Amino acid sequence: MTDLDPVIHAQARLRVVASLSALGDGDRITFPRLQDLLGMTAGNLSVHLRKLEDAGYVEISKTHRGRTPTTLIRLSRRGRLAFEEYTEAIRTLLDPTPSKEQQ
Amino acid sequence: MTPDDDLPPTDAAAALRLIEDQRSQTARRLEPDPRVLYWPWGVAWLVGFGLFFLRFAPDDRVLVRLPGWLPLTVLFVLLLAAAAIQAVAGAKAYGQVTGDSATRGRWYGCAWALGSVSVYAGLGRISEHLPHDLAALLWSATAVGLTGALHMAGGAIWLDRDLFRLGVWISVINVVGTFAGPGWHSLVVSVAGGGGILVAGLLAHLRRRRAR
Repeated sequence: MTDLDPVIHAQARLRVVASLSALGDGDRITFPRLQDLLGMTAGNLSVHLRKLEDAGYVEISKTHRGRTPTTLIRLSRRGRLAFEEYTEAIRTLLDPTPSKEQQ
Repeated sequence: MTPDDDLPPTDAAAALRLIEDQRSQTARRLEPDPRVLYWPWGVAWLVGFGLFFLRFAPDDRVLVRLPGWLPLTVLFVLLLAAAAIQAVAGAKAYGQVTGDSATRGRWYGCAWALGSVSVYAGLGRISEHLPHDLAALLWSATAVGLTGALHMAGGAIWLDRDLFRLGVWISVINVVGTFAGPGWHSLVVSVAGGGGILVAGLLAHLRRRRAR
């Protein structure tokens, strides 16, 4: 398990990324709803989102809904790709038999 | 920061389980319960059109002596209730998500609202010149036809097999009922249409439960 992407390979961030990956491609979710889906504290979620944002895996945008400021979050293209590669790597670790050995 | 949840999953199997659980849980909570979306409409059709059949049966018969205004009033009240329930369930599930799927939902809602107004405007002009039974048939056949078409379109937009099949079913029974004639149309729409919506809701619910 050494070659796995260290940004995603941490329980909390893996949960964040997995949740965001279940959204539609062009969709963004508000911070409170994401927090509610994950059952994390606001502070904890902020910390992990910042790490993911630094890696370019999530896009965070601030906007206004009426008068209330809203934070919207989505997985970036790069983040989606990284998550897919991570999932693929995990699957290969669990079942290393296919394709390569058959060649 | 709590240092604990920065730890990697204990092994690959745990990581995969975490991914799958989190994805299915999120998807489930971002979609309203299909029973809440389908069943109120099914009940509205079953009861509303059922009363129509009992009061305005084929060949001008009256099977149950209800006041003439009752069936239409009950139908409208139940349809409005179904729309309200759907709106609340939808807002609860998708309210905090914006983007492409919100746009899709909004435009689909527009298609229903504007499409209904534009179709019924024409009907209103014509139906006053028709005998009562034919006017009723024209209204209900057009409304049911529009519903069938929009359900099929919805199935195409969200690649939702249950919704598309329901649209096909509603369109087919609408043709059958229309050819059977006034009175019979209400019976067909009540039993096969309302019943069809109830079954579609049940199938969508079971499909979702299996997917968990």
